[in-house]
Amino acid sequence: MANKFGNSYGLTTLCPLINGHQQHTSFDKITRHRIQLLEENSGSPFARIPDTYFARLFILNDVFFEQGNNVARDHLQSKYLVFTSNFHGDLEPYLQGMWNNAEADVRHIWQYAVAFDKVQNAADFIRYIKRCQLTTTLFFNGSTDDSLQQQLKSLYVKQAFTEFALQHQGKPVAELRAAFKTFMQQLQIDNIETPSWQPGQTQL
Amino acid sequence: MTMDRALDLYDIQGNICKGYGRFGFPKARYFFLEFHQYAGARAFLQQLIPLITTAEPWSEKDHPDQSDKPQATTNIGFTYAGLSALGLPRRSLDGFPLEFRMGMKNRAGILGDEGPSDPANWDPVWQGEPVHAWLSVNGQSRQAVVDRYRQIEQLLQQSQGSVTIRPGHKGPQGSLQPWQDASAVYENGRVTPKEHFGYVDGIGNPYFAGCGNDPSRLPGRGKLTRDDGWQPLATGEFILGHIDEAREYPIAPEPHLLALNGTFMVYRKLHENVTTFNRYVDRLATDFDGSRELLMAKFSGRWPDNGAPLVLAPDDAAKAELDQQLAQLTAKAAAGDHTAATELRALKAKWIDFTYNKDRHGSRCPIGAHIRRANTRAALETEKDAFNTPSALDDRRRLLRRGLPYGGEDETPADDTEQGIIFMCIGASLERQFEFVQQQWINYSNDFHLGNDRDVLIGANNGQLTDKHIIQVNPKQGKAPFFCTHLPRMVETRGGDYFFLPGITALRMIAQGIIDPT
Amino acid sequence: MSNVAGKAYGMNVMTPLRWWTAIWQKVIFWVVVKTFPYFLKGLLTLSLIHYARWTIINRWSFPRLDKSQPKEKLTYSYMLFESNFNGSWDQYIDSFSFAIPSGLDMFWRWNIKYPKSIPLHDFYHYIRFNQVECDHYYNAYPLASANDVKSAQALYADLAAFADSSEALSDDAFAAAWQQFLADNQHSLGSMGTSPLMSTSNQLVQEHHHDDLQLAARQTQQEEA
Repeated sequence: MANKFGNSYGLTTLCPLINGHQQHTSFDKITRHRIQLLEENSGSPFARIPDTYFARLFILNDVFFEQGNNVARDHLQSKYLVFTSNFHGDLEPYLQGMWNNAEADVRHIWQYAVAFDKVQNAADFIRYIKRCQLTTTLFFNGSTDDSLQQQLKSLYVKQAFTEFALQHQGKPVAELRAAFKTFMQQLQIDNIETPSWQPGQTQL
Repeated sequence: MTMDRALDLYDIQGNICKGYGRFGFPKARYFFLEFHQYAGARAFLQQLIPLITTAEPWSEKDHPDQSDKPQATTNIGFTYAGLSALGLPRRSLDGFPLEFRMGMKNRAGILGDEGPSDPANWDPVWQGEPVHAWLSVNGQSRQAVVDRYRQIEQLLQQSQGSVTIRPGHKGPQGSLQPWQDASAVYENGRVTPKEHFGYVDGIGNPYFAGCGNDPSRLPGRGKLTRDDGWQPLATGEFILGHIDEAREYPIAPEPHLLALNGTFMVYRKLHENVTTFNRYVDRLATDFDGSRELLMAKFSGRWPDNGAPLVLAPDDAAKAELDQQLAQLTAKAAAGDHTAATELRALKAKWIDFTYNKDRHGSRCPIGAHIRRANTRAALETEKDAFNTPSALDDRRRLLRRGLPYGGEDETPADDTEQGIIFMCIGASLERQFEFVQQQWINYSNDFHLGNDRDVLIGANNGQLTDKHIIQVNPKQGKAPFFCTHLPRMVETRGGDYFFLPGITALRMIAQGIIDPT
Repeated sequence: MSNVAGKAYGMNVMTPLRWWTAIWQKVIFWVVVKTFPYFLKGLLTLSLIHYARWTIINRWSFPRLDKSQPKEKLTYSYMLFESNFNGSWDQYIDSFSFAIPSGLDMFWRWNIKYPKSIPLHDFYHYIRFNQVECDHYYNAYPLASANDVKSAQALYADLAAFADSSEALSDDAFAAAWQQFLADNQHSLGSMGTSPLMSTSNQLVQEHHHDDLQLAARQTQQEEA
């Protein structure tokens, strides 16, 4: 019963939307349209939010399940904006980073969420998200819990080193060694920021 | 899985249960039909039915009595367009799986048919509207093939234009043929099981419950049990209307009789760039620590000359020893030594009956070698007892391989001459079996923890540095793995489609026009 | 706007359970955590998941933030399953059902109308029916599978150590160390690349998206002209 697995965090939130509409369009529709139009990959607001491994937004309109005998018919009274994220680190700094780096997007996305009009700053936002948060029952990490920068740097290193190793197969040791030295200088393996892959990058 | 009831082999088309090549049919002709008028087309089919070869048991290939075996076989399959042209009801048509309804051309993105393999570059027979039916004739001799073909041609003439042959197969010297001839490759006048790159091919087809094959063929061909034994795969993995490995009936069209004892088949003309292949191997062999044959074996997982698996003989020395043992046993057995004959059989059984359990690193058979990709033999269970059964991830991805090489008879094989393999495979789900293997295991390697590496021989490689294959080593020996970089496109797709092979009852009902899902 | 982001697929499945059996389900998960990795060995070996989670939402614990928000009146509690996995929907469901059917059955043990993971078609239907599509799905590394991330991490650590330890070696010793280094890391050297196509439907959506971007670019050009 934990949101954390090592240094990785699984955030699950259900943010109720206001029942109502504006100019013939209900708030959940407006919200859905807005999140569907968000840019993807490196253009996504989440690409700017530090340490986000994966994130998603969707509208939960209702609950559904199989028909049949002896089952009750449940329906939700509100529609929910479901925001979930897998990230590195702790919740508060993460949400702080979210507010600092994507405040305009956050305001745009959550505009019609219940009680979001009271959110004025990062502290309010953190409080708000915590009120919408559900505790994860089982969190499974099948990857690593390194910082995102570390993961991206490792991927960059894997790509670059693999190419280096292929290019230098069978080379005389002096040549290999000199090339390796230059390669490691360019790679800057201890510099986690650069050169590296960019968050959401879709091309090598 | 035990069979509750024997299969009705007389209702199942023969090519499903038998690889004809193994039964002494080294020659084949494949041709494709168009139906123009469905009453006439159905009349044609009714006349064709007596020629269709069923899976009825024959005596084994080395049995002296040849009388129960025909000189030639005939089998038929239909595309979705073909079934539609035959007037099958909408409801029956809609029950076929999506990938079959779409056809192979529209699955190019899944199959990796891009660049030189792009459907726009396929033989003319595949351009435009889809063909309607596939007919195959296998023969014990070329003459037997031609005789049977003439017989069918007469039926076509009698149909008065209701059914025609769609021509347009690229043949020798730039010709266009009305059919696709195929033949085993001959060496010194003798049939070999080789393809044009020089590999022994077609070893290790799956064994399923009720297939009618000799049970001694089960080890290495079935599914693995926890105690390292082998069981037949469920019939429903290969034939519709029977329970499969998920303990259910495969997805099939209505009514039941339309699907029962039928199945799906992939037909693919795979051109082999023989010059490119030979040049690549020659160039790489100069850097490789081992013989040219070993390098070729490290691509495929089997020694090219006799198909011995690398797990059995992982290097040149071991291969020489194996060859010697094989020669001695063969000589003794020929001289009437029964013990030697038994030992020889036991040794040859190891060609098929093996796993990669003791080769986790791939230092014997590389993890990305062709046979380790196409048939993973429980190698994906990298932690013991992690899965329901050792081969749980493999059992639903098995392919019944059929088909023969083509070309190479009239001209010296080069890139621009016509030779390759007519690849055919059979299974109850094209998507779950063939397409998955092609996409995830041939053209991708995540399941093998090898990133985006592709199969050397049939992968969609493009000659880039990172189009590569890793020949792994035993890390304890302190030697680096060998990288085969800049892999070129060895094999190109030149055409093909997905076919439904109905059972005999269904074929008769299609021909009568009485398929009714009401 | 789809469930696909590069090599990852984002799945959300929301299924009902009776409020009191939800407690049993929580006990099961507690046991899974306490005995880690015993019950998750199959999942770890499949190695198709970046991150996944099961969240049981009691029928009384749907967030209510304001008096103006109507109270939920639910009969059931719910389980929200969320996964970031590599491969297509069918491939994922297939692999899980083939390899770890009893594990899946344990995780969905108390869910209403859960059909068990074998036979497969009922299970397919159950998941599909209860799945909610992502409206926005973000993946920080569309070009990498979980296996790629893990092997990259292993290679990174080894390479950093090798660079340090090999500096002072003689040429001959370096040559030997280099070979050993490659041998030790031979399983981390798969080529990087884009994801195989998840489905022909997803291909269409991507093409439409691409068309829209081009159209927008043309309109911008015209406006500027």
